[in-house]
Amino acid sequence: MGDKYRFIGKATPRRDATEIVTGGTRYLNDIQMPDMLYGKVLRSPHPHALIKRIDKHQALALPGVKAVLTWEDVPDWRGGTPRHTRVLDRKVRFVGDAVALVAAATEGIAQEALGLIAVEYEVLPAVFDMEEALKPDAPQLYEEYPGNRVTPGMPFFGLNSLTEIVMGDVEQGFGQADVITEGQFGYENLPNPLPPEPPGAIALWEEPNRVTVWVSNQASYMDKITLYHVMNRHVETRSIGGPCGGSFGSKFMSWQVQSYAALLSRATGKPVKLILTKEEHLAVFTMRPASRMRAKVGMKKDGTVTAVEGTWLVDTGYYSMTTQAQVAVGCGEVQIMVRCPNWALQPVIVCTNRNASGIVRGFGGQELKCMLIPLLSLAMEKLAIDPFEFLKKNYVKPGDGYVWRDGNWYTYRGVDYAAAMEKGARTFGWKEKWKGWLKPTAINGATRRGVGVGVHGNADIGEDASEAYVRLHPDGTAMLFSCVTEHGTGQRSNFIKMVAEVLQLPLESVSLAPADSLINPYEFGPAGSRGTYAIGAAAIRAAEDAKGKLFELLAPLLKTRPEELDTADGIVFVKGNPEQKIPWRAMSIDRTITGFGRFEPDYTLSNCMMSFVEVEVDTETGKVTLLRVVNATDVGQVIDPPGLAGQLNGCLGSGGIDSAIFEETVLDRSTGHILNANLIDYKWRTFPELPTIDNVVMETPFPSHRFHAVGVGEIATSPGPSAILMAISNAIGTWLHAYPATPERVLAALGTLSHGEKKRGGA
Amino acid sequence: MRPFTHYDAHAVEEALTLLKRYNGRAVLNAGGTDLLSALKGEYLLHYPEAIINIKTIPDLAYIREDGDMLRIGALARLSDVVNSPLLRKRYNALAEAAYSVATPQVRNMATLGGNLCQDIRCWYYRYPRHIGGPIGCLRKGNKACLAATGDNRYHAIMGGKGCFAVCPSDTAVALAALNGRIKIVGTRGERSVPVTDFFHPLGNELKRGEMVREIEVPRITGMVRQTFLKFTLRRPVDFAIVSVASVIAVPRGRCREARIALGAVGPAPVRATAAEEWLKGKPISEATAAEAATAALTGARPLRMNSYKVEIAKTLIKRALTS
Repeated sequence: MGDKYRFIGKATPRRDATEIVTGGTRYLNDIQMPDMLYGKVLRSPHPHALIKRIDKHQALALPGVKAVLTWEDVPDWRGGTPRHTRVLDRKVRFVGDAVALVAAATEGIAQEALGLIAVEYEVLPAVFDMEEALKPDAPQLYEEYPGNRVTPGMPFFGLNSLTEIVMGDVEQGFGQADVITEGQFGYENLPNPLPPEPPGAIALWEEPNRVTVWVSNQASYMDKITLYHVMNRHVETRSIGGPCGGSFGSKFMSWQVQSYAALLSRATGKPVKLILTKEEHLAVFTMRPASRMRAKVGMKKDGTVTAVEGTWLVDTGYYSMTTQAQVAVGCGEVQIMVRCPNWALQPVIVCTNRNASGIVRGFGGQELKCMLIPLLSLAMEKLAIDPFEFLKKNYVKPGDGYVWRDGNWYTYRGVDYAAAMEKGARTFGWKEKWKGWLKPTAINGATRRGVGVGVHGNADIGEDASEAYVRLHPDGTAMLFSCVTEHGTGQRSNFIKMVAEVLQLPLESVSLAPADSLINPYEFGPAGSRGTYAIGAAAIRAAEDAKGKLFELLAPLLKTRPEELDTADGIVFVKGNPEQKIPWRAMSIDRTITGFGRFEPDYTLSNCMMSFVEVEVDTETGKVTLLRVVNATDVGQVIDPPGLAGQLNGCLGSGGIDSAIFEETVLDRSTGHILNANLIDYKWRTFPELPTIDNVVMETPFPSHRFHAVGVGEIATSPGPSAILMAISNAIGTWLHAYPATPERVLAALGTLSHGEKKRGGA
Repeated sequence: MRPFTHYDAHAVEEALTLLKRYNGRAVLNAGGTDLLSALKGEYLLHYPEAIINIKTIPDLAYIREDGDMLRIGALARLSDVVNSPLLRKRYNALAEAAYSVATPQVRNMATLGGNLCQDIRCWYYRYPRHIGGPIGCLRKGNKACLAATGDNRYHAIMGGKGCFAVCPSDTAVALAALNGRIKIVGTRGERSVPVTDFFHPLGNELKRGEMVREIEVPRITGMVRQTFLKFTLRRPVDFAIVSVASVIAVPRGRCREARIALGAVGPAPVRATAAEEWLKGKPISEATAAEAATAALTGARPLRMNSYKVEIAKTLIKRALTS
């Protein structure tokens, strides 16, 4: 397919590449403004407490301090779903919760001022476990959430927003099963997506009710919308996005940091920069939700799943902005992975006294699969079913359907991914390496190898709306207006490529407007996996619209009809007679032509990735080494080969595969402190330890947009974790179901620790 | 970071005078790779008033054999230790231990003296001030240890007392197996202590106003086999969960002398004396190595979450002996 395109499917330099690698790119923290102040946040030492008194006199007296704000000084701005969490509150709900904000002439002065604020607390009992939080006598985090249960449903997704999966008749389904397995599974290690650049904002307030916010986000238009609601719908927000040092979903919402900067600017009349430290990023910014599932599945001998029943507890930390959305999307995604007619899966979202969970790629589906695949594996083992065959058989096929996040049923109209899966299996050598459940692939002294497989995909590729303009200029150039920041995937360059392809302009003749909400139309941003399909479709339509208008304008000059025209390199010509031509500048130099494109949500397509992994386990130390990963997908049409490889290689980072090996946030569950908020103790794979990654990419044209592409988006991280546990279990010959598979857990599973356990107690 | 006064010391005596003048309110800065995290994280209860840079002291980065003694100046950089042909040839356990530390960038800055004097890695002790305030503990001179009952997966399995943090230095483990000593100077003179005695459960042997000047190792002669093994969760850039250094002489198939040091298991590197004794005169085999490993860990008393370290330590000893 790729050959008939001029740019699509070809490796072309990223528009921002030179600037990034030469250090020229100006990230948020590189922006300086005259009179700019620096903001810092005083944070709570207690996981749950009432603020009795705050004395800020000493802090205000420090030379260079321009403002100190506490809950008593700020308007009632609230975030959360529904809006219940005050930007500064009288109550603190986790260790690190915001108590006061300081703006000062330098960061050092702001930091010093924090130490001069005296706070008196009334310490309240705290709760750190979701099941404890649901007990009748548990400490209560909010009056609005009796029993610490978060209101289900996501208003943004409409009145029927998906809150559970209930369909068919599970009793009947279990009756048809050859095997029923049940158990409790968790994915509770809170891996942090950890983009290299920490969250932050610069805000400039203009009286009476206008604020401009420079953001570091993948979806800068949405900051305007989120802040509009947070600020009680009467502040006009302009959000300006720039190069974003990674997000992985997480920085989609930074309303607190942005609000802090806005409040401090409002108090001082000066621009205020507030950037979290890496420690704050790890300890107080949003992370993955923790999940625990008690469930039962029924399976037939042929791998047909007859029923799934259970509860899915989701620990959202001290508040929820998007966890309801995550549950809704997760419930949709699990149906894409398992074709099953009978469901009774009940999610419960719970508040506890730790920092909040928020958006992370994999968004609900990864969490759910990390628990459900191990449970399904128990049934597969009993029936001696090969997990690759099972996952291939059960992944959504054309004509199948699912209830998506809005509560509506959609029939899948994409391709059958079985071919890509089979190609992946051949590349990996699955048939040769798979020796049966709980059987190692190879044994060499104390080390054993094992293999595992996982799958993920979502119909998010067509979620939400996108709008774009394309403006044509008489000099034969074009500019795309799409409120998308560059968050590392190269999508800004890819949208330029799509527009250049439609208009047949050299890439350098197409530019992209800054991701400023003032000049761009609505854009949900490259979230979910929607970049290629949804945003791409809006950009393509805008380019086509502009091209149509250009042809209408120039057709009379060429004495023909617009349908007879085509264009390349800034020249319009008659199809079939290219010599009959006219340059774009014939539109007149005092004119531009603007096309508009809009994408309406479409949940009838899904992407897919299957990951095969091989691990080596040292049975004498419990060390797990990841040897090889094969990722298999069908993207419809490759837009940019190196960009695609980057997305697929991203299976390791941002709380993906390594969340099964060593990535975890360690929370002291008696004090509420996050103990490993630094990059030594938060284990993060380094480049010298990369495994071999092979990517198998097929290109079966999709009925998506003009280039038949669906992309891979966020899904690369999600098939891996459960595949790793499967591989370890096979290597060591016994089930291991806890994330991550630390040496302690591996040795415990092997039974090596029984002797040591007796001797515990006091080094 | 907070403001401080900065001095460049040009002689050991000058550094000592400054230390004395500040009476506990100044800290020495060699490579600074550990100190900077303390200054930035502000996890200690008291912030130093002065930083005394000792990198400016000349002639304190030597690595040389001097009669029966290997002498290494406190300011020798870890990269110097890694790359020294002398150490590579005769004191390889030390070179390997230094190589296992952090990254090339850090090793180019960090010094051997600093590696020995670095602060513990206990995550309660190092909890950053900026996220709710530092956590007090016995080592900081106030409250009880939270690690004793909290998340102690990386803490001591032997020798903890009041504080259960482990000695984070990799080079100390190799030096312990090499019978190394640490030469300490103060305004009142000089003394030297075995590496294993340098580390205390609540700090180290350095008294107020003292500094490490030199590391001494008895000259290695004859055929000995040296090994340094370090178990970490990730590789590289990680502190040891357990490490083992061994120096063994096995002429004619029988063990004449074995020195085995365990790292990251207690407040100081621990010499496995029971195992060393037991091995004397025996052939080294899978079976004797396993016996020695069991003997070495007999005294281990793991905490609630770290009995796995006992198994890893046994494995490393076994592998060090048979490698």
